Amino acid sequence: MYGKGLRNLSIATVAALAVSLSLVFFYAPLDADQGFVQKIFYLHVPLSIVALAGFVIGGVFAILHLRSGEARWDAHSYVSIHLSVIFGVAVLITGSIWAKASWGHWWVWDEPTLVSFLIVFLMYATYYPFRYAIEDRDRQARYASVFAIAAGAFVPLNFIAVRLAQSLVHPRVFATADGGLPGSMMLTFLASLLAIGLLWVTLVRFELTAKSASGQLKRLRRALDAPAPGDASRIAPEVG
Amino acid sequence: MAALLASAPALPLDEAGKYVAGAYVVFLVLVVVYVAIMAAKLQRIERELRELAGFAETRAISDQAAPGREGEEPSIPDSLAPHGSGGGGI
Repeated sequence: MYGKGLRNLSIATVAALAVSLSLVFFYAPLDADQGFVQKIFYLHVPLSIVALAGFVIGGVFAILHLRSGEARWDAHSYVSIHLSVIFGVAVLITGSIWAKASWGHWWVWDEPTLVSFLIVFLMYATYYPFRYAIEDRDRQARYASVFAIAAGAFVPLNFIAVRLAQSLVHPRVFATADGGLPGSMMLTFLASLLAIGLLWVTLVRFELTAKSASGQLKRLRRALDAPAPGDASRIAPEVG
Repeated sequence: MAALLASAPALPLDEAGKYVAGAYVVFLVLVVVYVAIMAAKLQRIERELRELAGFAETRAISDQAAPGREGEEPSIPDSLAPHGSGGGGI
């Protein structure tokens, strides 16, 4: 079910990534202040936006799970958070590299943007031990959904709080009074955001497909292990 | 393609180049590692599916050969039992 259209989505993602990388390195002008190092912006910022959006989307799926009780929404929530944590690792590493190149330090502890993202990341890192500490599958799914909703609500609140903070180090590019990005940089940024967003969606679909196949396999094993004759024809539609 | 590359501005790969390259390589490595893990997972699913198909065919043949012996048929090997591989995650 999840694998439908995955091939076309994968091709679109690869094409979008290729176009965005071409724009980053051969179209977008060099930043007057930071120079070539600013190219990290087109990777780091879309990754952070997609990761934070993925955490919120995981919370929305968790709401759907608690409302409907359907296990598939729990799987959607889990996979969304899982991919966003992986993207979060990329955000922290690329951000550290940019910080070293731009500020001369790998990490700045008194910078609200960096520390707040680390807090969000560490909060979601506790999702796995929290989830797998519960053995009963239904309770595990319910508690994980409550966690995903609470943490998902924390993400935008945290973002707003950081935007309100008066930081002198981390740049503010969007929605600032003294102007934003020039057109060519904005186009490149939007192309990168689209490509990273498509990558997130594609990987989520891949993992959901693998989980669905694994679940179907378990059902098939259980059905085949039952000694009643005629079971093979009964389970066939589930496999297909 | 050659004309496009010729008209493209030269990349200033000085001191900043290694940082930019490092950031993009880290991202690429993360994606490749993730895809490799997913590929390994799918290979395991495919292998188990093949084994189950073989098991089902063997059972169907034995059922046809001896219709009254359903109670004596072999169970699924331990490696294929639902609790055996621990796959699936959630």
